[in-house]
Amino acid sequence: MSPTLSQQLDALARNLIPAALGIVLVLLSTIPYSLPAFGPVAPNLVLMAVFYWAVFRSDTLSPITVFLIGLLQDILTGAPPGLNAAILVLVRIFAVSQNRVFRGKSFMVLWFGFVIVGLSSAFAAWLISAVYHMALLDPSPALFQAAMTVALFPFLVWLFSWTHQKLMPQG
Amino acid sequence: MATRNGTRASRQAFGILGRLHRFAFLFLVMGATALMILSRTDNVIVDRVSVIVIDVFAPIMNILSRPAATVKEGVETARELVRLRQENIRLSRENERLLSWQESARQLAAQNEVLQSLLAYEPPPGARHVTARVVGDSGGVFVKSVLVNAGTSSGISKGQAAVTGSGLVGRVTQAGHRSARILLIIDINSRVPVLIESSRERAILTGDNSRHPKLSFLPGNAAIHQGDRIVTSGHGGVFPPGLSVGRVAIDESGTFRVEPFAGLDQLEYVRLVDYPRVETLPGPGKTRRASTVPAVP
Repeated sequence: MSPTLSQQLDALARNLIPAALGIVLVLLSTIPYSLPAFGPVAPNLVLMAVFYWAVFRSDTLSPITVFLIGLLQDILTGAPPGLNAAILVLVRIFAVSQNRVFRGKSFMVLWFGFVIVGLSSAFAAWLISAVYHMALLDPSPALFQAAMTVALFPFLVWLFSWTHQKLMPQG
Repeated sequence: MATRNGTRASRQAFGILGRLHRFAFLFLVMGATALMILSRTDNVIVDRVSVIVIDVFAPIMNILSRPAATVKEGVETARELVRLRQENIRLSRENERLLSWQESARQLAAQNEVLQSLLAYEPPPGARHVTARVVGDSGGVFVKSVLVNAGTSSGISKGQAAVTGSGLVGRVTQAGHRSARILLIIDINSRVPVLIESSRERAILTGDNSRHPKLSFLPGNAAIHQGDRIVTSGHGGVFPPGLSVGRVAIDESGTFRVEPFAGLDQLEYVRLVDYPRVETLPGPGKTRRASTVPAVP
């Protein structure tokens, strides 16, 4: 039995959730919180989302989508356009190629994988920015951001897996 | 048979798709690199596209940033309540001090007016101000800039200075129709011609992404001390002269740095200064006309 139009639209909408969530997280991470406890450096919410969906539902987050989300992040934050786009595409490659390692294992394995992703993308961002600005930049803000991102990962994963189970039951 | 052919065909198709997929990754990473190189060379198209994207998302960011601002105001109100008494004592002391300053300012203004009329002095053109709300922060690791919710439709253009009540914040680097990006004076790409207010010596305020930008190109024997006020010099004609910037702070390595007056971590509103640019270099035609040397007959 072929699905009706409304079922197809429904499935399409559900498959667009990761991309939409990615855009929302880009926007959320550009909000000026300026709470003293938060500091000027905000956690990289988009990185967590791309990693999660690439591991569990890479079919719903194509490389082009990841690229565009990264580009949006670059443009809105004023980073060199292409920096986060490239990093997120590379993170997707890593997550998809290693998804057997992470799927169905304990959360600690996933978290450990994300520590690697967080640290390597911080290093990549630092390296690319240094070349872009032709200056030796202080890497500590990137490390601080990576630490904060890794620390907040469990909360975001909880949110993503809730979305995943409630709104995207077929995957 | 047909199904076996079908599976083989689909397997081949998957093989090709897989290879295309791999190429897609390569293509995307190369595309990202190309974009970075283009933006590094100040490509007009890259800049224009980013401005359009910012313009599209600025209204959404404007709405999203309001709850955050409200929470922040709540936290600040609670804090202020705690220190109310202390603050009151401090303010009344400051008020006394300011009243005496006001008195001397009035006297000086009157004196200034008299002297100006004596010299037939032509004052520089006045500046127009536009106030804008900060809707986006770079959250920035290696970039120090903010987005504001006003653009060319409110008279904002590239190069304008952004200030708060306390001092210089940065300058407009991208201006969309209803949004603009302000590069903060602490960003690694920021250079501002400044003066040491007391000695009138020139320097360039050079951002390095740290909280306190450096003072470069200071004369070797510059009379400069910790706590000296730094103001914009107006050289280059981009910024109006005399905007407060910050105070000199000497770091452990003996480098002269500036502690900005404006709280750059917690910007909420900024004023953009529309300053009529002064032509610093007259065109060749003008020079000839202005020449006082009489033409040789």
